[in-house]
Amino acid sequence: MHFAPLPYLDPGSGSFLIQLLIAALLGVAVAVRASWGKIKSWFGIKPKADEDDDESAE
Amino acid sequence: MTNQPNSGQLPASFRDPSGFLFSHSGVLYRQVNHAYEREYARLLESGLYEKLVKAGLLIPHVELDPSSAESEAAFKVIQPERVAFISYPYEWSFSQLKDAALATLSIQRRALKLGMSLKDASAYNIQFVRGKATLIDTLSFEIYNEGQPWVAYRQFCQHFLAPLALMALKDVRLNQLLRVYIDGVPLDLASELLPAKTRLNFGLLTHIHLHAGAQKKYSGQEVKSRSGKMSKQAMLGLIDNLEATIKKLSWTPQGTEWGNYYDITNYSEAAFEHKKELVREWANRVKPSLTWDLGANNGVFSRVVSETGSYVVSFDVDPAAIEQNYQKMKSGKTGNLLPLLLDLTNPSPSIGWANLERESFGARGPADMVLALAVIHHLAISNNVPLPQLADFFAQTGRWLVIEFVPKQDSQVKKLLASREDIFPNYTKQGFESAFKEKFIVHAAVNVRESERALYLMQAK
Repeated sequence: MHFAPLPYLDPGSGSFLIQLLIAALLGVAVAVRASWGKIKSWFGIKPKADEDDDESAE
Repeated sequence: MTNQPNSGQLPASFRDPSGFLFSHSGVLYRQVNHAYEREYARLLESGLYEKLVKAGLLIPHVELDPSSAESEAAFKVIQPERVAFISYPYEWSFSQLKDAALATLSIQRRALKLGMSLKDASAYNIQFVRGKATLIDTLSFEIYNEGQPWVAYRQFCQHFLAPLALMALKDVRLNQLLRVYIDGVPLDLASELLPAKTRLNFGLLTHIHLHAGAQKKYSGQEVKSRSGKMSKQAMLGLIDNLEATIKKLSWTPQGTEWGNYYDITNYSEAAFEHKKELVREWANRVKPSLTWDLGANNGVFSRVVSETGSYVVSFDVDPAAIEQNYQKMKSGKTGNLLPLLLDLTNPSPSIGWANLERESFGARGPADMVLALAVIHHLAISNNVPLPQLADFFAQTGRWLVIEFVPKQDSQVKKLLASREDIFPNYTKQGFESAFKEKFIVHAAVNVRESERALYLMQAK
């Protein structure tokens, strides 16, 4: 792996491992949602606007 | 080459080798070190800087001539926009901390889109600028390499998720843990304090309870699978889930001491209006740039002063009042007003390394003008502070003082004395005036219409 230089704050071993585990699960959820969005778009249902492109997003 | 700080380096700015803050003649600068050259260039070239500044999520800065640098390690010197008042997470209401958390996640998501990632997620890097939670550390970004996990994940959970969950689901006063634990609430402590039912919430179960367990299990162990991969999609899933978990947390003030103070006050409408009039008139006369309203409740008089153009920090001891004040500030878009939690009888201390990282309440002053309305009886009677000591305190806290004297005949004071011995023979209008005249020049003294109270405009000697 080519990671960035080691972080200047210790991410913590346990925090690191649990993050990989949780993220693996949640990544699947993102993928499912993305394909669901695609399926909906075949039926002409527009996806929700991306709120990060909304300048007033908080 | 040296990374060693010179005299102007701020004591709180030592942790990150990418650069540091320093001040010259009262102006704040940030040195960007050569070590951070690539990241800084990416931040600007990718358009991330512009995007975040436009969204009000990152403090804007201008680049200066690097010859003004503090040390040879300098690659650039930048001057960030000045923040009117630095505040800390243990002084924020529930929604202020929540907005700071959501701002951090929103920044992380935007950064990932443009090939960068936050390398820290400290609540102290967020300040309220024009009323909005804003990242003030321009050097918080690193270049994102797909596969890499979020290095700031632990910090985010400790600084934001754990205190928010505790405030929402256990007790709102638990935000005071942040005053003790400067790197955020330890997750094992949060896990122990949170109600058992929080294990049924996927976000809290994983990011707090299981996270705390993993920390304990692997503490001190070197993890070989540190090179374990985490796809970008997984990273986005993690950010989304943290966001959804936080959005679901809420706290509604109820049954608190001051929440509806103005509805139960002994004030007549005329007295209230007269007080507002005087405060407005005196603020226009003094023209303070920074005002501290001490004992502000939900900020009625803070608003009167902020309308005259002053930046007003609106302090109160009641979390419900601060929450209400913040919500009102947000809906009214009053950018020059900052509600903060403060117990005047035990104000924020200086904390952190060498007691210099986070400044005490007093060290962040003095203010140009202090409002102390309907507060003196709480300090003099409930907290037994003698009047000369109160005069000392206020003279150190602000250059000008608008103070209300509430006499013993007043029903609010009668209430305070109802269940205790009156050991305050000097607590009279004359006693008050003579104590304060030692430290102040009195410019105006006016009896408030239809009330026993009096308002004073004073200038510290």
